[in-house]
This record gives sequence, C-alpha cells and structure tokens, in this order.
Amino acid sequence: MWAEYFTVAALISIGLYGVMSKKNLMKIFIALSLMETGVNLMLITVGYVPGGTAPIENGNFAKYVDPLPQALVLTAIVIGVSVTALALTMLIWYHSKTGTLEYRRGMKW
Amino acid sequence: MVIHPVLMIAVPLLAAFLTPLLKRVAKQFTFAILVLNSIFSVLLLAKVYNDGMVYETIAGFSPPIGIYLAVDSLSALLAFVINVFATINFITSDGDHRFSMLYLLAVTGSTGIVLTGDIFNMFVFFEITAVASYALVAAKRDRGAIEGAIKYMILGSVGSVFILMGIAIIYSQLKSLNIYDIASRISSMDTKMMWISFSLLLTGIGVEAEIFPLNGWVPDAYEGAKSNIASFLSFGPSKAAIYAIARLLMVVFPYNNAYEIALYVGVATLVVGEIAAMMQENTKRMLAYSSIGQMGLILIAFSLASQHFEYALLAAFFLVVSHASAKSALFLLSKSDGMPGVVGKYTGVVAVLSIIGMPPFAGFWGKWYLLLGAAGQKLWFVIILVFFSGIVEAVYFARYLNRNYGRKGKLPISYKYAMVILATLSLIFGLITLLNSMAMQNMLGGV
Repeated sequence: MWAEYFTVAALISIGLYGVMSKKNLMKIFIALSLMETGVNLMLITVGYVPGGTAPIENGNFAKYVDPLPQALVLTAIVIGVSVTALALTMLIWYHSKTGTLEYRRGMKW
Repeated sequence: MVIHPVLMIAVPLLAAFLTPLLKRVAKQFTFAILVLNSIFSVLLLAKVYNDGMVYETIAGFSPPIGIYLAVDSLSALLAFVINVFATINFITSDGDHRFSMLYLLAVTGSTGIVLTGDIFNMFVFFEITAVASYALVAAKRDRGAIEGAIKYMILGSVGSVFILMGIAIIYSQLKSLNIYDIASRISSMDTKMMWISFSLLLTGIGVEAEIFPLNGWVPDAYEGAKSNIASFLSFGPSKAAIYAIARLLMVVFPYNNAYEIALYVGVATLVVGEIAAMMQENTKRMLAYSSIGQMGLILIAFSLASQHFEYALLAAFFLVVSHASAKSALFLLSKSDGMPGVVGKYTGVVAVLSIIGMPPFAGFWGKWYLLLGAAGQKLWFVIILVFFSGIVEAVYFARYLNRNYGRKGKLPISYKYAMVILATLSLIFGLITLLNSMAMQNMLGGV
C-alpha cells in the first residue's frame, strides 16, 4: 500500500511543480496529465483489497476489489482525454497566432 | 403533473449533440430546448415550493448505492436562474451551430451541478461545464481569447484534480459518494482527513467559483471572450460553483470552522476584487474584477448560514439574481464602446444601480439581508466592509458611467432585447420583494 501512495504523492507533486514552474505549454499539459494519472492511481488504490480479484461475478469468488473506484477512474480517464485533446487543439491555435509555445502572459492586473 | 428533474439534464445534453446535424435551424432548435428547460425549471420550482425536497432516483438503484438528484428550494431557484438567464442570453447568438452546441453543454453542466445529489456526478458536471466553457472562451480565436482560454484551462484542470482528490479521500473513509449519506456519517470520519478533503474540495471548486486566490484566470478569460460568452460565464458556471460550495458547507461540512474559513475567503475575495476593479481602466476587466467582488459577497452571505439561515439564503439569492441580471447586461453592453440609444443608457444605469445596491433593485435586498445577518452575528467588520465595498463600487461605476454615457456605439438589435430583459428583471425582482417580502422568506424558509 505505501508504495502506491508514495507513487501517487510523487506523481501529483511532480505534476503540480511542472504546472507552476514551466513556461512551455506542452510541458504544462504533460504535467497536467501526470497529475490526472496520479489521482486515478489514488482512486484505484483506495478501492484495492489485498489479494482481491477482479470484481466480475462468476459464482465462485470470495474476495474482490471495490468496483466503484474503477468505474470512477474510467470516467476520469475519459474526461482527462477530452481535456487533453482540447488543450492540444488550443496549443495549435496558440502556436499559429504567436509562433511560439512559451506562455508569457503571467499574472496581469 | 409529474416533474422529472433529470429531464432538465438529459434533454439539453441530447439536444447538444443533435445541433451539428441541424446546421440551418440550430439556433431556433437550441432556443426551443432552452425555453423548454426554463419551463421545466419553473415547474420544478413550484413543486419544490409545494412539496419540499424532490428526489429522483436514476436507473432504479435506490440510494445510497444508486445515483440520485436531490433538489432543495435553493437549488431549484439556482436552476431557474441559470436556465432562464441562459435562454435570454441566447437571443444574442449569431446562429453558429458550434456555439449552440457548446452553450447547451455548458448549461447542462451548470444545471447538473446544482441538481445532483452525488459528489462524483458533481465532478463530472463540473468537467462538462468547464470543457464547454474553455472552448466558448476560445471561440473568438484571436490572441487574447486563446491566451485567456489556456489560462482558464490550466487552472480549471488543476482544480478538477483537487476535486477528485477530495472525493477519493472521502470515499476512502466512508465508502460512499452520496452527499446526504456522507453528511449523515461525516462525524465518523477521521478529523484530519475530513479537513484535508474539505480544503481540497474548496480549492478545486473555488477555481470555478472565482474565489481568491484562485481567480487569476477571470479577467483574462472575460476580456478575451465574446461579450455574450462573458455574460454567460458571469451567471452560469460561477453561480453553479458557488452553490456547490454552499451545499458542501451547509449539508456536508456543517461545522463552525468551515463557515469561518468560507467567511474569511469571501472577505479576501471581496476586498481584492473591488480594489482591483477600482484600479482597472479596461471596461471588461473592470467588470470581471467587479464580478470577483460580488462572488466574495455571495460567499460571505452563505457563510452566515450557520446561525441566520433565512437571512443568509435570502441575501445569497438576491445577490445571485442581481449579479446574474445586472452584470450580464453590462457584459452585453460592453460589446459596444459606449451606451447606444435609450436602450443602452437604460440598461447601463439600471444595472449599475442594482449592483451598487440602490433600492428597490435586487442588489439592494441582497445587501440588506446580508447586513441583517451580519448584524445578528455581531460581525461588525463584515458590515463595515460591505459599506466600504459599496462606496468603492459607486466610485468605479460612476467613472464607468461618466466615461460611457455620452458615447455612441453600435449594438446588434438582439443584444438590445437581451439587455433590456436582463436589466428589467433585476428591477422586477426588487419590486416584487418590496411589495411582498414575506413570500420570498416563506419560499426559502423550507430549505
């Protein structure tokens, strides 16, 4: 269990660091995907039962993992893919308008 | 008549994916769907008013295992506001079927956030709203729009990751996603875990709700977006998100500490938003910062609900209506450089008066009940801040009127219709309350 939670923490922290520190939009979107993967792993780990099998009813299973988080992760993956697709589309537009992938707008009052 | 709240989500969701097939009549079709949704929302409001909370089980599984919609009187009111205002705002559409589709999706998502009784569904609806809004903001496709949309998207995605983490922590402790089931067993949760999940959810939802310090995207996105999209953002996603925070506070985490956190966050949002608006020269950015200030006021109103429930809800409701009508009218007006014709002048003046909080407009009642609630809890600094923010608002809106009143500009006729209806609504809501304030109190008393 600890190895999984360590990986979750590492993925989310690396992703958050990337989003906050990088200027290149491609790198920012990669960092966002890392964060999403971290959270998905977290949900799977939450529903994991040591020694459990896949939650498919076939009559003779005794111990199975919690099926609900897996359904949630499926939804979250689909959402993540759509957000990434939209992000890459905007990346193309941004590049065609500015000729660069560096995002320099920053905080402007 | 039997009313199914789920239709308010299912019908526009289905219709959104039909609009690309109906290129020519997409605008009329979308408008019809939005009108239908508004009628549903009125019927739902009447039903909640008569019978109390409405529950709708989806797919036949009974809660807490199944998913259900839980509509209380405040969420019915919010669904009404979002759908009716979205319908009025849609008059300004230029007939592009892509705009119709994204607009319907965003309306669906906002309505879903308000109606759902399941915390994971809330996350899904947040994502529907957010993805549609990113694309709507970028629709103008010039540099400012794309920069605003990208900033919105980065912050929004980080926010959604935070919401999901909060949900995962709650699920790991209680093995439940149903809001009322979680609420009934929240005290059995580990205290540290509970506060971590509360902070994660507040942070994640706060990005959409434009609360400080998560609102860096707001001015850029509003400035970049088209006027009618900026006006939609000011009453759709942000109001749904602030209601989600209110539901978390009042139902899931009804602790004094949580209310206090919300109060201080609201105060910070109010102060930062109003000061930034005062220093702003660009009209759209000024309106965006003013929106942030108003969201702070609404959050303060909700945070008073720990003791003065009726006052808090009345204040929040009127602030939502006032902001939704007046601010969206001003955003529509910002399409032109000045205030063209009688319509422009009327809209500008009425909307500004309502936001500043002059009687008898809706904004006045919002601040009135907010002050009553704050006085009841002896929160004197809140009272001083509300007066102070009113003065600051008067200063920058006076400057705005002074600069724009005499100027002529051009506005499409559809914008004028929408602006007049929106501005008049803020007046009507205020007048109805003036005549019959008890009706509103009864309406919200049964939450």
